[in-house]
Amino acid sequence: MSGLRHTLHVLALAARNGFLDYSVTFTWKTWLSGWYLRVLAQVVFFALMGRLLGSTEQVHYLLLGNAVMLAALGSLFAVAGTTWERRAGTLPLLVASPSSPVVVFVGRSTWALVDGFLSSLGALFVVAPLFDLGLPWPRALLIPLLVALVGASAYALGTFLGGLVLRAMSTRNVVANVAWTTILAIGGVNVPVDFYPRPVEWFAHALPLTHGLQAIRDLVGGAPLATLLPNVALELAVGTAWLALALLTFDRLAEGGRRDGSIEFGG
Amino acid sequence: MPDAVEVEDVTRVFEPRKKKDERVVALDEVSLTIPEGEIHGLLGPNGAGKTTLVKILSTVLLPTSGRARVCGHDVVEETKAVRPLIGIVFGGERGLYWRLTGRQNLEYWGALYRLPPAAVRERTRTLLERVGLADRADQRVEQYSRGMKQRLHLARGLIGDAKVLFLDEPTTGMDPIAGREFRTLIGELKGEGRTILLATHDMVEAETVCDRVTLIDRGKIIATESPRSLGHVISRFQRVDVEGAPEPVLGRIAALEGVSAVTRTEDGGARIEVSEEGATAEVLRRLVDAGVTSVRTSLPSLEEVYVQLIGERGLEV
Ligand SMILES: Nc1ncnc2c1ncn2[C@@H]1O[C@H](COP(=O)(O)OP(=O)(O)O)[C@@H](O)[C@H]1O
Ligand SMILES: [Mg+2]
Repeated sequence: MSGLRHTLHVLALAARNGFLDYSVTFTWKTWLSGWYLRVLAQVVFFALMGRLLGSTEQVHYLLLGNAVMLAALGSLFAVAGTTWERRAGTLPLLVASPSSPVVVFVGRSTWALVDGFLSSLGALFVVAPLFDLGLPWPRALLIPLLVALVGASAYALGTFLGGLVLRAMSTRNVVANVAWTTILAIGGVNVPVDFYPRPVEWFAHALPLTHGLQAIRDLVGGAPLATLLPNVALELAVGTAWLALALLTFDRLAEGGRRDGSIEFGG
Repeated sequence: MPDAVEVEDVTRVFEPRKKKDERVVALDEVSLTIPEGEIHGLLGPNGAGKTTLVKILSTVLLPTSGRARVCGHDVVEETKAVRPLIGIVFGGERGLYWRLTGRQNLEYWGALYRLPPAAVRERTRTLLERVGLADRADQRVEQYSRGMKQRLHLARGLIGDAKVLFLDEPTTGMDPIAGREFRTLIGELKGEGRTILLATHDMVEAETVCDRVTLIDRGKIIATESPRSLGHVISRFQRVDVEGAPEPVLGRIAALEGVSAVTRTEDGGARIEVSEEGATAEVLRRLVDAGVTSVRTSLPSLEEVYVQLIGERGLEV
């Protein structure tokens, strides 16, 4: 099989595999009653915070920011994607196979990408009317696209971080938590990006979500569509850069386990 | 034609990761050659270094020093050439995707071994048939018994049509019948010209299926021989079975240097175990002097050699 077709085939199989594992944790019912209610409450909570602070503008700012943040949060579950393989005892088999492990890992956590995407949109379109945030029709149709873009670039970061924690599994939660709290804090979710000192602001521009969220804010605010393009392009660039970094480092990090003996046989 | 497996002075040291850990020399200058088509046993107690060697040969662990090749390709430098040629099977229940069916597991790995989809489907079907899982193929692995999981594991190891198979304790925890069937299957694989390295702590397993066996303990190779002639390697180990020997004579023999044990058998005879070269001659002389004529010397079985060399640790599971 040709290289690209083979890669896509493995991606699809790995994705199916991830969804099957995930479907054991959640059914539609438990997802709605467990996870979705929680994220709704979270977005409502931040919107109410905005009301406490006073202006409708604040309410809408916090509502949008926290709803879009859910897409990034979901995608960052990819950091722990490597644990599933470790737990299954399949990591040595993947490393020893003629295919590249990073392809498997990119596919493996797509459930998280979809989960984050649905949570984000589900929260946004349900909570927005409650707080009189008008989502202008038909341009609101572009929102899912932009949320997907934010999710995808966070997923790329998550995959890169997943490679980093591959040989230090105990750090995976810390790393994932640091990643999402950083995005939450400086990515323009609750306070504007320029609230922070310059170096922090620069760093924020290299993170997923920052530009995509800005584009969504502009879209909802009624800006001409052409003015969104720079932010869309930047979000795309950030995501691509993290993906490239993940592709460049992941297999090497996995192979590094050959030296320290951290690729354990199941047993 | 290069040998299927060549191991040259391979050493693997695990440096301590935490302060309180000790430095472990898991393999100590191990050398081993396995010609194509051989079933080779790697026999040793827990902690001997079997898995470490299998990991190095299957490209998931680097040796600290020394070289190893599979079908002529270096396992450190030429992983791209080695990986399509090998299959890995380890015992226990891990290494499979429990949420997938048996068939889905094989199709998944078939794709990872870069086989075209049509070939994957065909091979999956024949392998499932072969390991006796055809009628359970579409059930999730989590519903499989332990023996079924292990058979699926073997099928998984074969999906890429491996020339060299590394089996690490593949029958751990199988019931005896399943274990026997498994060994039959291994015999068939030999018939197809595959080379197999079978790491095990089970002497019977090594003795029944292997062409040659390497005894390993504490990271060092003690001997490599055919299971039958492994006894010769340590010719100092001999045993003398006697009938009708007077008790005092046996008592004096037991006290001889080089006699490790004298045990009475149920039928009134005795077995004298000798563990030093030359001592057998003295034992025989004493017996003949005492007029005992029913004497038989023999070499110990692989199991006995194993226990003699490695001690009781070898019997731990
Ligand atoms: N990753 C590791 N880190 C530290 N020590 C290890 C590691 N893997 C194996 N060892 C040690 O190396 C020795 C040989 O282990 P192993 O090859 O698993 O033996 P076997 O498979 O024969 O039971 C043991 O003392 C074991 O504790
Ligand atoms: Mg072992």
